[in-house]
Amino acid sequence: MGQITATFNKTIKEFLRQKTILFWTIAWPILWVLIGSFSFSGNIPSEIIPYVRGAIAISMSVFALMTAGMANLPGNITQDRERGLLSKLMSMPISPWRDFVGRIFALVAFSSLAAILVVLVGYACGARFSYTVIGVWEAIGFLLLIFLASSGIGMLLGTFIKNVHGAIMSGVGITVVTAAISGVMAPYSSLPWILQQFARIYPVSSANSSITYLLVGGEDYAGYNPLTASQTTLTTAISLLLFFAGLITYSRFCWRKE
Amino acid sequence: MDAVRVEDLTKKYGNSEVLKGVDLRIEEGEFYALMGPNGSGKTTLASIMASVRSATGGRIEIYGMKPEKAKELIGYVPQENFSSPVLTGKENLMYFAGLLGYPKKKAEIIVDDLLHKMELSEDADKRVADYSGGMRKRLEVATVLFSGVKVLILDEPTTGLDPSARRKFLGLIREIKEEKTTILLITHIGTDAELASKVGLIDEGKIIAEDAPEELKKASGLKDVINIETTIKSETVANVLSKFSEKQKVLETEVGYRVYCKDAEKATPSIVRALDAVGCNATRIETEKPSLEDVFFKLTEKMVREVS
Repeated sequence: MGQITATFNKTIKEFLRQKTILFWTIAWPILWVLIGSFSFSGNIPSEIIPYVRGAIAISMSVFALMTAGMANLPGNITQDRERGLLSKLMSMPISPWRDFVGRIFALVAFSSLAAILVVLVGYACGARFSYTVIGVWEAIGFLLLIFLASSGIGMLLGTFIKNVHGAIMSGVGITVVTAAISGVMAPYSSLPWILQQFARIYPVSSANSSITYLLVGGEDYAGYNPLTASQTTLTTAISLLLFFAGLITYSRFCWRKE
Repeated sequence: MDAVRVEDLTKKYGNSEVLKGVDLRIEEGEFYALMGPNGSGKTTLASIMASVRSATGGRIEIYGMKPEKAKELIGYVPQENFSSPVLTGKENLMYFAGLLGYPKKKAEIIVDDLLHKMELSEDADKRVADYSGGMRKRLEVATVLFSGVKVLILDEPTTGLDPSARRKFLGLIREIKEEKTTILLITHIGTDAELASKVGLIDEGKIIAEDAPEELKKASGLKDVINIETTIKSETVANVLSKFSEKQKVLETEVGYRVYCKDAEKATPSIVRALDAVGCNATRIETEKPSLEDVFFKLTEKMVREVS
């Protein structure tokens, strides 16, 4: 058993055994899938409703990924620091990079579980999708970008905010606010011009639009075409930038000797 | 052979100098207690030895190596409860076994053995959140007992434990001592430090005295200590008692005062009368031999432990 496996096992168990984490990452998005599927479809033609529900399920699975990366990850890092585990680890002959990889793998597994459960509940509520096999693979790629961007923000929060509650609440705050103003929780077309620009720059939102475009039904549901070369490049670049900024910050500052 | 060698070690945080040229040598197999009040620099010193903090100046060697190169030889138990409360005791130890690269089957055998050694076998599958403070500390000490550790650094391991848990825990430390591991115990509790073969007293970032516990007591020149439990604790009572004490200083305890005098038998009746005169009753008076906390008080006129 190596360091990565040990860290993975510890972190995934911590995620799965904490009720607040389960609630915010799995139950809360599922609740919104249920509310969204049955409450906001009154004036929509009945043949479109399954796809609207599909778009809602996708948005909420994106929300689950955001919560996992931006709130659970910093919560996990600050918890370990606050209770002295990081000090303990620094005194041991182990590698910060392997610790990082173990944590990230656990987060990927937990986020994937959350996203799958949300989509399955959406499907059970009547959500339907229109996709090709290539489209599904592309969507998985965009999910990965959402994960990278969210965990990058999460690592920045976990490194700089020392207090556990502060880190978690900041993560939840950023998740909720950015999801609300960038078209994850509301249709892109209903956003004012300035927020539409933000939605194109904010990689989580543009990747969400890309997945909706690929799996639900193009521009009608995504609000614009997010799959242009320039937009995809921008989404990928900012996601990677956030992830590496978080990674470098975490490995330099969290493991730095005072 | 020196297991730990510290020379002229300094540590600054901004303008504040926490360690002011510490010199320390701990021989292989020695049980060394570093005792001092909060803020004296003892935790900073321990964490520099454990590679958690860096020194501003001076030198540290663990078996002749810099601490960063000697991580495999060091077992550090920080002050905080670092075990994960949502994992079971066994899962916590399996995590540390994994970090150290033990294969799963071998790790299970070692972990079961450690749990047995720590008397935690029956609670191995309970979540740590349900452990008592003493059980949790024992579990955390177990994390440094995987093979290869030669220097054990325990930072205030008994803080917050009730007397029975402390006794159990200290018994365990004695057991480890028999295994010839070098132990550095950081503490502010005199009775814990008494277990060590050598005690260093640290104050304001400097080691002010160092010797075997009995030698420190002898060198302090303290003869008798009258331990008085009083109905009232006030400045007036302390002033009255200070007239009977050496250098006119008394040590405040949780339940009263400790008075240092040359002839306790002679002084006791006068003390009782003096307390009566200020309306304070002594509910219990005992003559004791000086403790390490008394020695520290004699040397610094400061209490090692805060009295609430």
